[in-house]
Amino acid sequence: MGRIKAIIVKEFLHILRDPRSLTMVFITPLVMIFILGYSVSYDLDRVDAAVIDHSQGRLSRQLVQSIAANGVFVLHGRGASLPLDRAEEMLRAGALRAIVVIPPGFDRRLAAGAAAEVGLVIDGSDVNVANLVQQYSERILLEFNAGLTAARGATGLPLRLDTKMYFNPEARSQFFFIPGLIAVIMLMISALLTSLSISRERESGSLALLFISPLRSGEIIVGKTVPYIIVALLDGAVILLFARFWFGIPLRGSLLVLLAFALLYIVAGLSLGILISTAAPTQRTAMLAALLITMLPSFLLSGFIFPLDSLSPVLRAVSYAIPATYFLRIIRGVVLKGAALRHFWFEGAMLLVLCAGLLAAATRKFGRQRKAAQ
Amino acid sequence: MSRAAPAIAVRDLRKNFGGFQAVRGISFDVAPGEIVGFLGPNGAGKTTTIKMITGLLAITSGSVEVNGLDNRRELPRVKRMLGYMSQKFSLYPLLTALENIEFFGGISGLAPHDLKAAMARMQEAVPAPVLRQKIQDVPPGIRQKVALFVCLLPDPGIILLDEPTSGVDPEARRGFWNEIYGLKTRGKTLLVSTHNLDEAEYCDRILIIHNGEIVSAGAPDDLLRREGKASIEELFEDAIRSHGQN
Repeated sequence: MGRIKAIIVKEFLHILRDPRSLTMVFITPLVMIFILGYSVSYDLDRVDAAVIDHSQGRLSRQLVQSIAANGVFVLHGRGASLPLDRAEEMLRAGALRAIVVIPPGFDRRLAAGAAAEVGLVIDGSDVNVANLVQQYSERILLEFNAGLTAARGATGLPLRLDTKMYFNPEARSQFFFIPGLIAVIMLMISALLTSLSISRERESGSLALLFISPLRSGEIIVGKTVPYIIVALLDGAVILLFARFWFGIPLRGSLLVLLAFALLYIVAGLSLGILISTAAPTQRTAMLAALLITMLPSFLLSGFIFPLDSLSPVLRAVSYAIPATYFLRIIRGVVLKGAALRHFWFEGAMLLVLCAGLLAAATRKFGRQRKAAQ
Repeated sequence: MSRAAPAIAVRDLRKNFGGFQAVRGISFDVAPGEIVGFLGPNGAGKTTTIKMITGLLAITSGSVEVNGLDNRRELPRVKRMLGYMSQKFSLYPLLTALENIEFFGGISGLAPHDLKAAMARMQEAVPAPVLRQKIQDVPPGIRQKVALFVCLLPDPGIILLDEPTSGVDPEARRGFWNEIYGLKTRGKTLLVSTHNLDEAEYCDRILIIHNGEIVSAGAPDDLLRREGKASIEELFEDAIRSHGQN
């Protein structure tokens, strides 16, 4: 008993005297509980949609008003002025989640007591959001139908929804998860590679030899990141090929566009790794920190699992600082929707800003650490 | 005859880590072409002092001059004058000896033909198959040889060796000191830290450091004569004991 007690006491002392691990053990679950339990929900605050009303009658306008009054749908076009191909382009660019198409003769058919159909096109690249949009739309239609049947005293459903799921017609969740996973994995691997590499050099003492060599801090950083850019790109390519040929995930857009953004994204990840390594005293801490800092926000706050529109305003603001938020949209857009470079000006600009910011911070912190040593 | 300006001049050097004083106002000179042994137990402040001379650790107060240049104001120039071999040898374990030499030669800005010549010299000293093994797989004696060779690649005039003989067998240690003598004959200045007291006999002068202070300094024979001691061990123990009592 005394021997077991000795081990228990020793283990407790180890736990208590390693404040970093202790912080991670207690802070990580608290952060997760806070994000998951309090701020994240599957309800959407906002669904950007367009309504193309070819009927332009009293009832079609009433339907459009019902959609607008729902409070979730934010309508970007009403009437017939927005051509369908333009709306589809907006859907591809991620500016719209859904398009409601009211066909010509809608009012005439309903007035004649016949049933009418409303077209609903949903962006299926995010299966969760797509399902929610469909549910919200069905609810609106149900209410509209109830109003119509009460007014006419008719039975049956005068209005039906004809839903088309674009980019993922079968609503396969793999289409949604796998491109997201690629984004998360690439960020995690990039940050892990540099943080481990630098902290390993610090532990072995070889970083000291680099510091007293004529090398400038910028040269050390460039020299250390270029090989890992290639490794992370190859890693991304392998996962993408696996996704393509094993899971049947299509690649509808340009690989070059993806590569260009992946390059920015990887440099952001590698810079994050350098930043982590400047604060982490050991390889173990660097690894834990890199995993936590990249995986937790990327999983929970980038739109990977929970739609950004379901996050609280504070967490949504945080999501703007996460590189995965932008690359996720890009990879889903390119892979599933065949989106092109012109669709990602905002995401590209934000990735560029984050990449430049992280790289500048990493270079500065690394240089400062070297200088502080001097 | 006027004395040559010191290769290294340390004045009232101090280093604090938070509330802990690792080095407490030490001063010493190392003359050009001299081998100075920095003797002290583990934690005495040897590595901290050497790291402050190289610029790897910030100085809390005091000064270090290398060939008359203040190492805080003129660090890039000072760095070019110094060769440094760290306690852990700090080579890349997954690279072979030759790849390590190629890498460190590359970052030192060595011209390709100089690097080639350096590698050929290394191959004369160590069998080629050993040099093609990963550093993690070669014996500590070879690792030490390669680490010294790497430190000498930029041909520095002043060489700082931090516990270069720790973890190697007595034969390798003797061989290593022969190489150090060879360097001295080529006009190099050497500051060598060690906790192996028997290595004091190889030095022109020794500095005994304890708890961040130099407690005894001088040529080994002079110190023995002056203190009336029979051996360096006795001298060392006495110096540390009397310092502990102060």
